[in-house]
Amino acid sequence: MQQKKGFLDLLTQNLSSMRLTVLLFLTLAVCSIMGTLLPQGTSLEELQGHYGPSLSWWIDTVGLNDLYRTGWFRTLLLLLCLNLIICTTQRLPKTLKLLQHRDEQISPEKLEKFNCHTEITTPRPLDAARTQLTEVISEAFAPLQPLQGSDAFCAVAERGRWSRLMVYIIHFSVLVILLGALLGSLFGFKGFMNLSEGEASDEVLLTMGKDPVMLPFQVRCDDFNVSFYDNGAPKEYRSDLTILDKGQEVLKQSIRVNDPLSYQGVTFYQASYGSMLKQVEIEIQDRDAGTAYKLTLPYREVVSIPGTHDEIEVMQYQENFSNFGQAAAIVLLREGEQPSGSWILVDMPEFHGNRIQNYRIKVLNIEKGHYTGLQVKRDPGVWFVYIGFIVMLMGIGMTFYTSHRKLWVWASPSKSGKNTTTVLIAGKTNKNSLAFEQEFNHLCARLQSDLNPK
Amino acid sequence: MDSSFLLSITTFAYLLCTLLYLSGVVFLYQPLLISGSVVGALTLVVQTAGLLLRWRESYQLGYGHAPLSNLYESLVFAAWAIILIYLILELRTRQRVLGVFPALFAFLAMAYASFSTQVDSKIQPLVPALKSNWLIAHVVTCFLGYAAFAISCGISILYLLRKAQGGNPHPRGILGLLPEARQLDQFNYQMIVFGFLWLSLGIITGSIWANSAWGTYWSWDPKETWSLITWLVYAALLHSRTMQGWRGSRVAWLSVIGFSCVLFTYFGVNFLLSGLHSYATK
Ligand code: HEM
Repeated sequence: MQQKKGFLDLLTQNLSSMRLTVLLFLTLAVCSIMGTLLPQGTSLEELQGHYGPSLSWWIDTVGLNDLYRTGWFRTLLLLLCLNLIICTTQRLPKTLKLLQHRDEQISPEKLEKFNCHTEITTPRPLDAARTQLTEVISEAFAPLQPLQGSDAFCAVAERGRWSRLMVYIIHFSVLVILLGALLGSLFGFKGFMNLSEGEASDEVLLTMGKDPVMLPFQVRCDDFNVSFYDNGAPKEYRSDLTILDKGQEVLKQSIRVNDPLSYQGVTFYQASYGSMLKQVEIEIQDRDAGTAYKLTLPYREVVSIPGTHDEIEVMQYQENFSNFGQAAAIVLLREGEQPSGSWILVDMPEFHGNRIQNYRIKVLNIEKGHYTGLQVKRDPGVWFVYIGFIVMLMGIGMTFYTSHRKLWVWASPSKSGKNTTTVLIAGKTNKNSLAFEQEFNHLCARLQSDLNPK
Repeated sequence: MDSSFLLSITTFAYLLCTLLYLSGVVFLYQPLLISGSVVGALTLVVQTAGLLLRWRESYQLGYGHAPLSNLYESLVFAAWAIILIYLILELRTRQRVLGVFPALFAFLAMAYASFSTQVDSKIQPLVPALKSNWLIAHVVTCFLGYAAFAISCGISILYLLRKAQGGNPHPRGILGLLPEARQLDQFNYQMIVFGFLWLSLGIITGSIWANSAWGTYWSWDPKETWSLITWLVYAALLHSRTMQGWRGSRVAWLSVIGFSCVLFTYFGVNFLLSGLHSYATK
């Protein structure tokens, strides 16, 4: 405790420390675990049903039911980014300086301090030894570059200098990915639309509450199909879609699960499907006039009854209406009167209630169609994320599988004998020292035998 | 001959392989270790044939997909990847003692796949969500990563045993065959680095696939989240190596923790969390 450091110094010191990095990684891991223990996206009411009021209040307040979107979880991510940025600004200049640095002087004393070093004595004069050393090392390791300014022969060879920069590339990619995620959540949307066959729409309901998004174009579902395997498992869901821009058909494409359609940055994914009423065939009997007709009523379209001014429309359909089976809600529209309607039971054609005013109605046939459930998304950040992915993979691969390896050579006439030369070789690597040691020993053995011919 | 016959041979052969490695270590007898390697390599060949045959059978059934689509097939692939990566490591390091744990893990994976009632070994058709080339890329990359972490976990356990002997550079008995602590630490690091690369690829292919199938590259579902947790633990491990005094035992412990996360991502999420979820939404 010699001197008081400023608060800011202390803060940057902590924010740049690797200790904090490891702590943040592990904290994020533990917090993420908590999020997997509870179903996410449940409301306070749903929680109360399971956990009682006070525990639910705690869960909801801390945000365990929607953990990954809470402020404190995002603060952790932000801290990681800050940690990364500050660490980089402190280290990158040093690394760059290190990369530009060229060795000026080496001395035998210095080389002997290296973990990896060997001394070789050769019965050759310095000049011959120098040529041989340069040749072998340049071929087996990297070009041997002589250093000036000493009586002895001093030289350096190095490989993979740039690999020291790869770590920065990985770290940069992390920031790019998180930036992409941020852009996506700020400027994108995610929602869904249900389209029955033949229907066109431009309205997307959002997954996260709020008002629907109106697209600048329309999507129409021309057809929907499901196929099954022999064992009954679903094989394929397919929707044939058409994009209508200002009423013009501009694009026709079929989508499947795993095979979406994109138009103007908006992507449509096959997400779900369901069945719905398409049209109803009925026999309608006018009991006053004694006439009977067969009519086809498309779902929610008004059809006129021949020979009258009356009109009729199917408004709703239920698979099982009050346990009486299928039923269609049909409405009669007569000029000057309130519309009147009734549930017509399909499976009980003789039921006495199957009538509206003076008409008796019998459902002859029901035709059902499908609607397709589309997930709709716009995400302008996804390209940042993808670029970040690629850069990260390249960075990780290069960081791990390249290293900065350096050899120093010092050679000078031996003090003892005439025309013999003493050679000192030392080597250093920034990672995977075991493999480097092997390579180093290999090289030294080769030099030993090359410099001492039998 | 069909694939299930070859794969059941594989199960027993990995048991034999484990026993050979183990007895080689216990009796300090090199030829046993060598025969462990030989049995391991031969079994790998049989298993490869089994996998390829199963692939062909799925076409004959009219489903036509790579044998990577359900729990059974992924367990078999995990065993295959563990032995493959281990044998390459062994070839490069010439350290046969390291084989005990990889062989054991491979046997356990095969045994669980073959004998558990929770695992259905039938060839099933692919549901629409799985019909994508990303399936192969995703499963292969993830499992290469998991396999490397399994081997690293084995090395870490050996490292911790070795360290428990104190500073003695030439421990007697079973540990006598083990490489030096420094070497073990290096092998461990190399496996983790390899695994981290593949796990990153696995998470990335998974998220690209999710984006092309349903429009979100990340949705925080439990499986996804657990793979991220695993990734974070190994990232913590890689960074902690650069701190003073963290090399060695702490890294070994983190590797064991990391592999438990792998196991949880694989089994726990399926069997425990989904159960929890269905309970909670009932
Ligand atoms: C998700 C975020 C991060 C990822 C994926 C990541 C990834 C990596 C990887 C793969 C390495 C190479 C490790 C090795 O060679 O063994 C590395 C090294 C490093 N990381 Fe990170 N890192 C992240 C965040 C951070 C943060 C926040 C810091 C802030 C201090 C940091 C500081 C470093 C440093 C200083 C090194 C170099 C260590 C050395 O000199 O070998 N990293 N990082």
